[in-house]
Amino acid sequence: MSDTVALALQDAVNGLLLGGMYAAVAVGFSLVWGILNIVNLAHGALVMLGAYVTYWLFTTYHVDPFLALPLAGCLLFCLGYPLQRLAINRVIRAPLLITFLFTFGLQLLITDLAQIAWTADLRSVTTAYSGRSLVVGPLTVPVVRLAGLAIALGLAELIQLLMTRSRLGSAIRATASDLEAARLMGIPAAQVYSLTFAIAAATAGIAGGLISLSFPIFPAMGPTYTLIAFVVCVLGGLGSVPGAVAGGMTMGVLQTYAAAWLGPNYDDIVAFSVLIAILLLRPGGLFGRARRFRA
Amino acid sequence: MRATLGVLALAVVLAFPAFASTYYIRVLSGVWMFAALASGWNLVGGYAGYPDFGAATFLGIGAYTTGIFMTRLAAPFPVALGASGILAATIAVVMGAILLRLRGHYFAIATLGFMLVAQQVAANLEITGGGSGMNLPIAQSFTAFYYWMLGALCLTLVIGTVFLRSRAGYAIAAIRENQDAARALGIAPLPYKVLAYASSASVFGVVGGVYAYWFTFIDPPTVFDSDFTIQAIVMALFGGAGTPFGPLIGAIVLKSLDTALTSASVFLHNVFFGALVCVLVVFAPRGLASLTDGKGSIREAIRRDLRESGIR
Repeated sequence: MSDTVALALQDAVNGLLLGGMYAAVAVGFSLVWGILNIVNLAHGALVMLGAYVTYWLFTTYHVDPFLALPLAGCLLFCLGYPLQRLAINRVIRAPLLITFLFTFGLQLLITDLAQIAWTADLRSVTTAYSGRSLVVGPLTVPVVRLAGLAIALGLAELIQLLMTRSRLGSAIRATASDLEAARLMGIPAAQVYSLTFAIAAATAGIAGGLISLSFPIFPAMGPTYTLIAFVVCVLGGLGSVPGAVAGGMTMGVLQTYAAAWLGPNYDDIVAFSVLIAILLLRPGGLFGRARRFRA
Repeated sequence: MRATLGVLALAVVLAFPAFASTYYIRVLSGVWMFAALASGWNLVGGYAGYPDFGAATFLGIGAYTTGIFMTRLAAPFPVALGASGILAATIAVVMGAILLRLRGHYFAIATLGFMLVAQQVAANLEITGGGSGMNLPIAQSFTAFYYWMLGALCLTLVIGTVFLRSRAGYAIAAIRENQDAARALGIAPLPYKVLAYASSASVFGVVGGVYAYWFTFIDPPTVFDSDFTIQAIVMALFGGAGTPFGPLIGAIVLKSLDTALTSASVFLHNVFFGALVCVLVVFAPRGLASLTDGKGSIREAIRRDLRESGIR
């Protein structure tokens, strides 16, 4: 095998590993958007919080970051539920600008508080096994990222099962498709909405934990992940878990190839270009059904 | 009567630096700066109803244009400032022609994404000094910035007032209320939306230029900063978006409050706008105006809707 092919293969593998993380970030975002019809601009800030929970558990209490993931998820769940219940439910039917503004303000508030509490320093979670890799022929696969991919896919599968197989999932889907009918069936909408948001926040927390294992974290990291989550949803189609996974993988591979050609500092530019290209050329998303993006 | 009051207010504001201390001149310059931003955001966010969440893009572009013109080309400040406004408007025309085809959600997040892009471009280019930023020459007199910001504000208010009474203004209002109906009346929406977007961008560009010279140091995260966008939006909504003078009122009230808070506690200042948005949105989604008129407001409508749908 020639070096170029090996390199291209390595990039593809790296891209899929990165894509797993993107999928984990996007699953919750997609859920909130699809079910609550809210584009949660604070989603990246929730990811950031999850990353810091993992970081602090690891540095202060020496909790293994993989064991910290469920804890991060639980904490974010506990933050997400009252947030939706007490605040977002009040504006859920308000005009678009209002919900946007609320989540935008929330993201600023969380970022500012994080900056005050933890400073703007870059931090990273470095474990004893962080440097280890599996070597398969010409390919090198970092163990941490491989485990991260497995967890991300497991998380997506779990959410998919929850949405399709559980009573809660049925209630969530029923509320999303016809609020009036769902209420007549005795489904408490406010609770369903709050649980949906809390579940999404929990996945954001876990995604943040995964990110902290491979990338430096800092309070202002949120908006980039919000943008990526949005692009992934547009790529994969809205409100679908398999779509988020497929979109995440596509985005990860695109991002990695772009980084190989352009250099590492262009990730937002690549994400944005993909977004604009998809919105203008394939408004239905790569895998989704046609929807109306255009004015 | 109103004209007399206006002239009187303008005279007081113009004479202000003659009798105020440097501290208050600086505070009031900041108020005019944000009043200009809020009124500038209002042109696209209020008049056209397109939620621009990336307005700071053009502030950054303006700041860097002024910086580059003054340091690399040794251009005088007014020339650099003109270039800032023109370049911001030009980029807005090009990007607006793409972005303004998108619907609400998509437009909002695409503008936000575009700001991240602009920030990353500035951090990667050589002419901008990359991530380490750029130092501008230090101005002779800092009182001048008071008048530059005031000038930017007056220009924005004039644009806003002219818009309301012009053909373009009516077209933009029609597009905001119902784009399909406007199209049926023979109004091609895109050029008007681009006009509103570019006007707003040029205001941000000019303010960014003044800001750069005033603060003498710029780097990507400080000028391509969502804080500018959110403050402009909140001030505009607080005072009343879509009205010509509402954003000015909103800026005066909120910036004064913010300044008072800063002297009380830096912590409060840092979280002020984020917290304010959350509280404001939940309790008074239509801004200050809705607090005074109870009936028939959007807030009531939302409440009613929520009650009926049983979410609350």
